[in-house]
Amino acid sequence: MSPLSAPVLGQYVPGDSILHRLDPRTKIVVIFVYMLIVFLANNGITYGLLIVTTSVGVFLSGVPILMILRGLKPVFILIAFTACLHLFFTKGGEVLFSMGPITIEEKGVMQAGWISLRFMLLVVTGMLLTLTTSSIDLTDGMERLLTPLRRVGVPAHELALMMSISLRFIPTLWEETNKIMKAQQARGADFESGSIFKRLKSFIPVLIPLFVSAFRRAEELALAMEARGYRGGQGRTRLRKLTFTGNDSIAFILLFLLVIGLIGLRSQ
Amino acid sequence: MTKQGSTMKLTTVSILAGFAFLMQYLNFPLPMFPPFLKVDFSELPALVAGLMFGPLAGVLVEFLKNLLHYLFSGSDTGIPIGQLANFVAGSIFVVTTVLITRKLQGIKGLVTGLTVATILMAVIMSIANYWVILPAYAFLIHWEVVGPAKTSLVLYGIGPFNLVKGVLTALLFIPLYQRLKGRIHLPKIS
Repeated sequence: MSPLSAPVLGQYVPGDSILHRLDPRTKIVVIFVYMLIVFLANNGITYGLLIVTTSVGVFLSGVPILMILRGLKPVFILIAFTACLHLFFTKGGEVLFSMGPITIEEKGVMQAGWISLRFMLLVVTGMLLTLTTSSIDLTDGMERLLTPLRRVGVPAHELALMMSISLRFIPTLWEETNKIMKAQQARGADFESGSIFKRLKSFIPVLIPLFVSAFRRAEELALAMEARGYRGGQGRTRLRKLTFTGNDSIAFILLFLLVIGLIGLRSQ
Repeated sequence: MTKQGSTMKLTTVSILAGFAFLMQYLNFPLPMFPPFLKVDFSELPALVAGLMFGPLAGVLVEFLKNLLHYLFSGSDTGIPIGQLANFVAGSIFVVTTVLITRKLQGIKGLVTGLTVATILMAVIMSIANYWVILPAYAFLIHWEVVGPAKTSLVLYGIGPFNLVKGVLTALLFIPLYQRLKGRIHLPKIS
């Protein structure tokens, strides 16, 4: 489990691009719908349309291309695996290449290409959301989007607040984990060797102080919140308010046009 | 419970969810299992939350953990199938353990609970994988795993994996619980 490298929490790149300035609600909805309509594409024109729109999105975000490519790295193995699967086992159409029992046929190449493309489109679009939206905006946007569901019992405010608290405490807990592990190692604990049971056992003296400290922090935070008058979301005022602008309407109109275009151009 | 109790509950569940996220981040593959099945101990904070505040709190920890994981670590496919599977498995595990532990008091209840939960999780996840999760992946990559290959993946991969994961979690949680008992069962503030 060690050496431990710090967890990467989001990849937000601060900036002032059009995408950064869009309302987080707009971004969440548009990107969610976009990820669904990627599945509508099934021919050259529709995939071409999606490549163009995604590229425009990347361009507008002002995020360096290299960062996007780096984000694609973990998916690469999966893409390569799927592509090979289709390349060798999907049959049909003209035989393009054959060597002994192995043949690569036209349909396999097409499938491999489309599926890889679909993966990349999905991952890049998903990244655009977290690259251009800070975690505060993201939780804020989700809270506002969920608010209508209050009536059916979804505690939108509490969920968003809990998410912010979790996010805030992940680095703190991380630091503490490292500190406690080092402290136990100084006392002779060994996390690296021995059977899996021995290693499991060596983690108990790390977990116990971690839990105790988590309880303590939760208590202190609850006390601090109440001392400042926290009493649930009802009637709470906000420092930052979300407002829709013209750009948000444009984003929705463009998305609508894209959906129509995809439905019209896809092969039946 | 008074208001004070409820703010405490909110902060505790949040921080435990952050803790669970960290534990999930420290995952490791098991030898002999396919690499997409990874073991982590992120069910431990959820179990603690469940025993402190009831099964719903445990489910909440699982939910927040996976939401955070999806948003901030990303999904391999852009669509949170893995996170959904983890949420379902974790919730079954935590809810079963909490309900049984509450019914049969003491350490005996906990051991029974963890055992039943492990078996239940393995069975339900095998069924869910066979009928829902693997087909969902298949749809995504346009490749159907069918027939004997699918059955053996579920029988030798997913089922045993969930058993091993449950057993490892239980082995860690029992000593943990004995030390934290005093904190977990705080006298209710009324």
